[in-house]
Order: sequence, then C-alpha cells, then structure tokens
Amino acid sequence: MRQTIRVEQVLRESVCTPYRDLVTRSTGRAVRCSIQQALAAGAPVVALLDFSEVGLVDFSCADEIIAKLLLDGSGGTFLMLQGLREEQLEAIEHVLSHHDLAALVHDRVSGACRPVGRLSADHHAAFESLQAVGPATAPALAERIGWNGARSAEVLVALARLRLVQVEHDSYSIPLA
Amino acid sequence: MSRVVEIPASLDDRSFEQFAQAFALGSMTDRMVFDARAAQWASPFGLLAMLTAGQAVREAGGPAPAFTVPLAEEVRRYWARTGFFQHAAGLFDLKGRLPRVRPDEHSDVLLDVTPVRASEDVHAVVGKIQEGAARILHGELGLEAKATMGFAMALSEACQNIVEHAGTGGWVAVHAYTFRRRLGRRVVVIAVSDAGVGFRRSLEPTQARRFGDRWGDGAALEAAVIQNVSRFRDPGRGQGIAGIKRYLTRWQGKLSIRSGTARIVIVPDWDDDAPMTEQLAPFPGAQVQIVIPAQEGAGA
Repeated sequence: MRQTIRVEQVLRESVCTPYRDLVTRSTGRAVRCSIQQALAAGAPVVALLDFSEVGLVDFSCADEIIAKLLLDGSGGTFLMLQGLREEQLEAIEHVLSHHDLAALVHDRVSGACRPVGRLSADHHAAFESLQAVGPATAPALAERIGWNGARSAEVLVALARLRLVQVEHDSYSIPLA
Repeated sequence: MSRVVEIPASLDDRSFEQFAQAFALGSMTDRMVFDARAAQWASPFGLLAMLTAGQAVREAGGPAPAFTVPLAEEVRRYWARTGFFQHAAGLFDLKGRLPRVRPDEHSDVLLDVTPVRASEDVHAVVGKIQEGAARILHGELGLEAKATMGFAMALSEACQNIVEHAGTGGWVAVHAYTFRRRLGRRVVVIAVSDAGVGFRRSLEPTQARRFGDRWGDGAALEAAVIQNVSRFRDPGRGQGIAGIKRYLTRWQGKLSIRSGTARIVIVPDWDDDAPMTEQLAPFPGAQVQIVIPAQEGAGA
C-alpha cells in the first residue's frame, strides 16, 4: 500500500503558519510528529513525502524531518521524497551525508527512483540494475553486473539496511517497482 | 555623572571594536550616554550592535542610556528607514529630532531591523526576505537564481542561533550596499546579534574539559565554527553553521562571528581579515555577519 503525504499541508496543519517554508527545528519536530502519526495510522508499505508546494527547506528542519524519520525507522515504511527542487534536495543531501544516511527520491513523471545521500558507486550500480532490469538475488545481481558474490551480497545488504531496497525470500527489489 | 559611549562616525564590524571598548569601560548599570551626533554611516552590524548594547543594559537592570541621534539629517533618515529608531526607542532615552519616513519597497534595506525571539520570528524573516533577496542577489549581484534559496537558508540558520542558544532575544537586519574600501563591489550583508549567553557559556558544559587551559571565547568559536560542535548531544546538531559556510564557499562570501572577547572569520580570497582575534573588549552575546559579494563583472 502506498500513502502520499503532502508536506506543505502537514506544515500548515501542524504549525498554523501562513508561510510554506520548512525552517527551524521546532517546525521540523512538529511536522515530523504529524508525519509519524499519519504513518502509524495508515501503516503504508511506501510513503511518498510530497514537497511540491513547499518553499525553503533549511538544514535544521531537514534534519528534524528527514534524518530523524529515517533514523527512527518509520515503523517499517519505505520513505520516498518527491516534488523536490534542486536547492531543497541540496539541503536534504547535506543532512543525509552528515548522518551517513540515504533516501529515495521519486520522479513523479517517469515513476523512477534514485537514491541520494552518502553512497558509493557500487551502491548506485546495484540500485540502477534493480531498477532497470528488476529484482535479483545477490548471486543473480553478481552475474548481471560481473561482480563476485560477496561484493554483490555486501552491497545489497547495505542498500537494504539503508531502506533503499526491500528484500523478500533473498530477492532484492525497489519498493515502488 | 553619565559615562559617554561614543559612536564611531562610520560604525561597521571593524570600527565596532572602538564602540565595544568604550562600552566595556565601566559597569552596564552605569548611567550612560550613547553619543551618535557625529555618526555618518552605520552598517547593519553597527546598528544591531547599538541595540544589543541597549538590550544588555536593560537586562542587567541598568538605567536606560540616553542616545543622542546623528546631527546629519540624511543619516537620521537612513537609520529611521532601517527601523533602528523604532526599536531603539524601547531601549534608550532618545535625544534629538527623529524624521518620519515611509517604507520604500525598492530600497537597499532588504530587511529592516527585526527582533528575533522565537521560531515564528524566523518564519516571518524568511518569508519576508525572499522576494527582495531575489531582486538584489540575482538582479544586482549577478548570482544564479538558486542562490536566493541558499541565502534565505543561511539567514534562517543564523537567526536560529538566537532562538536555540542565546537564552534571550536578538535582532536581524539585511542591507545591500557598495563595499568600496575592501572590495569595490556591491554586497548584501546579513547581520544577526543578540545579548545572550555567547558561545563560550553555551558550549562550556560539554566542551570546556576537551580544550583544557585553552578554553575561552576563542576556543568556543573554534569549536562551533570550525568543528561544527553544538551544545546539544543530538548528533544532528551543528549543521546550521556548517550549512552557512558551505553556501558562502560557493558564492565567495564572508562569515564573521564575534562573541565575548573573540572574533572568528571565514576569510574569502578578496579579504585580508584575521581568521581569529582574541583578547578584544568584552561584549555581550554573539554578533554574526555574513557578506555576499556581487560576482565579478556584476553591479559594481
């Protein structure tokens, strides 16, 4: 099940502000708590956090919302960010790197995802393969990319730990696929 | 008898030290006169420094200092246009004739002197600045359009230092002007100042032991600005100043923070300021200045 959460609407409801900027830690905390409540109520497999109508995102607020939702585990829900502008994404990537975290960014038009944050070239290569070709076990991905099995397994486990891919019966896949 | 604190004719982050020395010469509960009659100009940093001194006096329980306004009509008009007198009236006993001015939407005052006490104030500042910032940064300084967002982010993080760490209210102002002496180009300057606990007292409980004998205002600024340390144990803290530095690196900007008796500067190529100065005259709270210059070839 997929749930879309309009972040600008959550901001207006949680903070009662006339502005559409995600700034300050206290705002971030209020928005995060509202998102956590929505996730607890809906228990979706995938939650799309839609930033389309949001103005500025500062580092402190990005830390309180995105980093803490990811660190918290979000009750097992896969989080995806969508509708981000370049400058907003930059602030979020800065925060993700600070915590050694990663997140999925969803492109509404193409339907594709891409991981952002502190990731290696191997992480990106494995993710791209899962997205382009489809789910794979560690040995299957190794064969597909030309890696050895240990390298493939290590990268897939890391992607799963970062909650960028889901794993079912040893098969790894992109959550929205 | 009142103690006279002379306001330098041109009050900016450098001549501020003269002002700070005069202010520190006695107790904050002394009867004082801030003499600005000879003032010809003040940067946003200078305007906020005067308000911060007034705020510190009030919070120390001292009598409201007298403040003799500049004799020059155009200086009084400019200071009035920045909102300075409106806030000074609550802290000083203003002496002299004050002009009535109408707000000018297209002036170089991007953000007039604005109090910052709580998170809502930061929202209001960020909401208010964006249109004017886009006009100046993109239109006059030749920065890419996306620089406006980073600028507002830097402003937001600088203001949040007051809300999160000062323990009291503070002020913010943003002006654009031509930086003739050091750069010869247009700049946008953000000034943020508070009369709060300062960096040393804020970080002392968690950092003093680590620095040992070196601990002081300078070490506290080094911890916060260079090492991105925060008083909070939350590992996500300390990203605000790191984010400001990142933005300034991209646009050749300058960051200076003065707190207590020390001043730290992230010095861009175009400037020759000292990266760290210690043993300055003590001044309450923290004073932040961010300077974004026009890109070369843009509005000189």
